[in-house]
Amino acid sequence: MSAFKRRTTAKQPPLPPGTRTSPGSTATVITSTGIPSLDDILGGGLPLSCSLLVLAPDAHSAYGELVLKYFAAQGLASGQRVCVVDAHPETFLAECIWTPGSGSAPAPAQSQDPSSSSQSAAAEDEDDERASEHDTKIKIAWRYEQMKQFQTTVPSSSQSADDYCRTFDLTARMPEAVIKSARSEGRIPEIIPQADSPCRNIIHRLSEMLSQSESDQALATRICIPALGSYEWGDLSPQDICYFLHSLRALLRRYPRACASICLPPHLCQEAFGGLGWVQKLGWLTDASVTLAAFGSNPSLTAMFSSHHGLVHIHALPAPHTLLPPSDKFSTLRGLTSSGENNLAFKCMRKRLIFETLHLDVEGGVSERRTTPSTNVLAMEAGVGHDHSHTSGMSAVTTGGSTSLAAVQVQLEQVQISTPPQPASAEPDTTKPESSFKKAKVKKKVAFHSERPDLYDF
Amino acid sequence: MFPPTNLPVPSEVLLITDELLAPADFLLHRQLAAHLKESKDSRCVLISVSEDLGRWKSVAQRSNLNLAQSLESQLLTFIDAMAHISPALDEKSKTPLKDLYIIILECLKRPHLDETKALVVLDDIAALEWMGVPLADILRFARALCAICRKYNASLIIRHHITTPGEPDDILRHLLQLCTYHMDVFSLSTGRSGSVSGQVALHCGAATSEPTHKLIPRSKAVQYRLTDTGSVFFDRGTGSGVL
Repeated sequence: MSAFKRRTTAKQPPLPPGTRTSPGSTATVITSTGIPSLDDILGGGLPLSCSLLVLAPDAHSAYGELVLKYFAAQGLASGQRVCVVDAHPETFLAECIWTPGSGSAPAPAQSQDPSSSSQSAAAEDEDDERASEHDTKIKIAWRYEQMKQFQTTVPSSSQSADDYCRTFDLTARMPEAVIKSARSEGRIPEIIPQADSPCRNIIHRLSEMLSQSESDQALATRICIPALGSYEWGDLSPQDICYFLHSLRALLRRYPRACASICLPPHLCQEAFGGLGWVQKLGWLTDASVTLAAFGSNPSLTAMFSSHHGLVHIHALPAPHTLLPPSDKFSTLRGLTSSGENNLAFKCMRKRLIFETLHLDVEGGVSERRTTPSTNVLAMEAGVGHDHSHTSGMSAVTTGGSTSLAAVQVQLEQVQISTPPQPASAEPDTTKPESSFKKAKVKKKVAFHSERPDLYDF
Repeated sequence: MFPPTNLPVPSEVLLITDELLAPADFLLHRQLAAHLKESKDSRCVLISVSEDLGRWKSVAQRSNLNLAQSLESQLLTFIDAMAHISPALDEKSKTPLKDLYIIILECLKRPHLDETKALVVLDDIAALEWMGVPLADILRFARALCAICRKYNASLIIRHHITTPGEPDDILRHLLQLCTYHMDVFSLSTGRSGSVSGQVALHCGAATSEPTHKLIPRSKAVQYRLTDTGSVFFDRGTGSGVL
């Protein structure tokens, strides 16, 4: 045994509650956004002194605001200061989500056993997806038997990471008691935008708030702006928004215990508003920039990716102290370490919002080698009950996993056994296996994949 | 080997353009490090519009460059551009960049040994336009900056962000007329990758008649990969930097 003793690191100030050091660089302190898969995309979490911009260009959905609600809820749950910049901050907070079992959604014994709660949540989600019944029946080839199931997203937090990222439930509203106690402690400063020169005014008040809180306690501050430039802000020009984002970032650098999360309303995300290259400019002016492009009014996309609600585009990632963003090395969802980047999509399930890798189905719909159509086709045809029946085999399996990095395993694609299509013309005759979907009238499909699936089934 | 070490030469202007997918921070850090390490008296004026000093310091730390020391010894001057521009922007003046120009002039005028080279880095001229500074003022400022750098024998590096690849905007067109060399950092056409972070090409600006450095067209661009400590350059198609 050598006499060599490990030199203890110099006394560092304790980290504020709800934060931890980034795996990529010890100088960076990160905090959770409330959504584990989004944390993974950002490289562990949103670093303090950085700003996150969520663009939601679809006018028919509010996923951007949902991300902000998670952000605010996580801030309050960790005991941090949450500053809401909105015309109606009380309404925003009242609509925020919360952890299950402490209010509206009754769930006994959940507080004692968080791993089972996340497993039961996962089990419920699987019921929603109805994928589990198919999994067990498939005979896996012998060489793949040992492998774990394919995972398209990161597992939700286990009990060890409870303080960093809570498991939120979309069906649970934030209890009044929490808001009241936080307000009495002064942890919810609210800033309401005025109509005349709102941007400079808000920067000024944020600066005052931050300088005050700097002297008070060692709490991290989260700034939530659920709708930057909404109509209460008056008429903003692209230059105003650029100036605001730039100044906000400079403010965050000056007070490095704060971070900000901003959502841009749909009409301001368009190039019609900001001009060519608008999204790029926004990406340069913020540290992290993500677009949640919901499918919304586009039926062909919804049909093609029936298990997701929208695509995720990453424009910028935070790298406050390094050249390379830590996300490049540590994100399992993005998968940069293995090969080229994964395509990402998000889906909003009954209880939570998750970001997943997006995998296209086998191309071509029905080719000569396949005897059965893909399940996508079935989803379109079968109508009512099977909206959530999924593309073969890819289910978001979440276990109360203790590993921090999800191991990606390959699973054989499952082929659903169902009625085959009637050959349209000159196709080799196909056998007719037994079908469980006898009632579904399967549409004829030729070998090529049509771009616009027919919307009306006559 | 790329990048050429004596670029830019004093009184020359190097324009570095980049895209969101392939930012050129690493090039600026590399140039700064090379300049400061070259001699004990080399001076540098860093005008930063978007990024703060903390990041410059932490990234420089990784390549063993102590910026705090350089700041103290006045060899490195850090100018926070927005501190001088925002009051003028608030008053909606037509020439908000005038104050900034005067400050830079003061920095360059400071007495120094004749042998030392000075480097002026303007990080990010594009953000000025995005935030509402009038275009005419920006162009005038850029031209004036080039002029004083030439006068005081300093080399100038200007960084510009391209948001519309393929369609040069007004600032880019004017900057291309001013610069002697143009280093073009752009991403792979196939998107992000773990092993290649982007590509760099070197073009000749309008101010050069006979380029002294070997030019690299976009079709034969040198690829680079960002690492923890800096960047590694390799020719496209070769595995030298990757394997």
